Amino acid sequence: MSRTSKQWADQPKLPPTHYVNSRIYTDDAIHREEIEKIFNRVWLIACHESELPNKFDYRTFLHPSGRSLLLIRGEDDSVRAFYNTCSHRGNRLVQVPAGNAKRITCIFHHWSYDPKGACIDIPRETQGYGDRICKANVGLREVRCERGLGGFIWVNIDDASESLTEFIGDALEDLQVELSQSLEVFHYHQAIIETNYKLWHDTNRELYHDYMHYHNRLTGLGQKGYFDRVYHPYPNGHVQLDSMEIQYQAYRGKQRTLTWPGSKAACHKLIDIFPGTTFILRAPSMRVDTMTPLGANRVMIEFRGLGLKNEPAGDRAERLMEHNNLWGPLGLNLHEDLLANELQTDAMRDGVEAAYVLHAREENNTTQDEIGMRQYYAEWGRRMGRSPHDPYGKATAAVAA
Amino acid sequence: MNADKEISDLVYKSCFMLDEMDFSGYLSLCAPDYRYRVVAYSPELRKDMVWQDVDKEAMQHHLELVPKHVREMVSVSRFPTVYLIEYEDGGRRAKVFSGMQLFKTKLDGGETRLYAVCRLNDVVDLSNGAPRLLSREVRMHTRQLGTGTQVPF
Repeated sequence: MSRTSKQWADQPKLPPTHYVNSRIYTDDAIHREEIEKIFNRVWLIACHESELPNKFDYRTFLHPSGRSLLLIRGEDDSVRAFYNTCSHRGNRLVQVPAGNAKRITCIFHHWSYDPKGACIDIPRETQGYGDRICKANVGLREVRCERGLGGFIWVNIDDASESLTEFIGDALEDLQVELSQSLEVFHYHQAIIETNYKLWHDTNRELYHDYMHYHNRLTGLGQKGYFDRVYHPYPNGHVQLDSMEIQYQAYRGKQRTLTWPGSKAACHKLIDIFPGTTFILRAPSMRVDTMTPLGANRVMIEFRGLGLKNEPAGDRAERLMEHNNLWGPLGLNLHEDLLANELQTDAMRDGVEAAYVLHAREENNTTQDEIGMRQYYAEWGRRMGRSPHDPYGKATAAVAA
Repeated sequence: MNADKEISDLVYKSCFMLDEMDFSGYLSLCAPDYRYRVVAYSPELRKDMVWQDVDKEAMQHHLELVPKHVREMVSVSRFPTVYLIEYEDGGRRAKVFSGMQLFKTKLDGGETRLYAVCRLNDVVDLSNGAPRLLSREVRMHTRQLGTGTQVPF
């Protein structure tokens, strides 16, 4: 039966953990607060080590704060990260996504920096600055940078936050063997989608949407054991889904046979790292999604497809083919996920009667339980100091009154 | 009939067929050993990426699956322009270099936006009657495709 305006606006008769106010997906002020309270305080993947394999290779990364970061491998083979900003007049130093340079020179006034962020040249330094400014005091702003499991390079612009090891904890243990191989990125693309970053990440935290994917309906969803897979929450908002061997014959006419070291053939694994990184293995393909929110209703998602370094050409071709068929920009599944999120945002436009979004499925934490989202929003609420079901405190105030 | 016109018509027809989602029509323009690749240079990785690489059988399987998948409600319009035709192998085949723009028009409201630009590097078989596509390499200029598409370029 349909609902009246009042019924639509009434809070669901569910525990507060089982729904969120859709304004958390559309409100500009909440978005700005998320940047400050979440993204500026957590570890985020900036790139993979294979994207800067050689000494003096560099890579840029758009941090959600809006800052461009510059990552550069030094002569000592260490990767360091800095604000991609000249200390002189704030110009952006590096304009391209990747390259190689022993020194970084600003195009504007030719101030130069070495790969450790030290300023090494200021044209006509003493003539113009006397003893007021010297190179030693105007190095680049360094950002915490650590190599994590799998060779991913993580950054954190909060100098006071916990270490990467403390942040991740044991959340990646189910991919420990797979990520301990020597990996390289063979695919990279960005998708800028008109949606809130959390809506994209929600999609990676539940398999209830498998009904949308023709591929998934024919493969995993119809298999024995699908509904036995359990989501395991970890501290800091991370979550991991039990693995399963997927039967692909119904969709492709044949089963996948090429494995990923440490995994069985056709193994499916899924790990989500708060606030928006996802590791997915559909052996033989591995994909890692990362996100940079560009606004309340806009997100840039970076998709990386990974293979093993120096693997035989035939293996790489098969891994690439399986990756592209589903996950490439022309793949059959990825479009469906991205479209669903844009349609959610289209329907949620910040209007008069914001909807409630239900996260109420309970099935003993198994595949189609929505525990992945409930756990996410518990962490979100903790960091934001807001209740996702009542982000403005109006309902709570009304009850108190 | 003028060979240049026949070849150009082939390129244009292949794009019109895809606009109309006439997949069997598109495949009928392809030789039995057709190969289709989509490549893009990645400045992030500093190397070429392959986004799709299929033979005719795999292309046919892919196209059979497209209507079964959820898809954006838009029409896609392809605007190819044949720039250059080079004959080789005694006129038995030709290399065709074209540029192409694609636009998406929403069914709801009719707004049109530029979606992608690319180059088409085709090899056309002229040895057996009507020209047929022997291979197509789509070299993408655009690397950000929003929600993307499942239909070949």
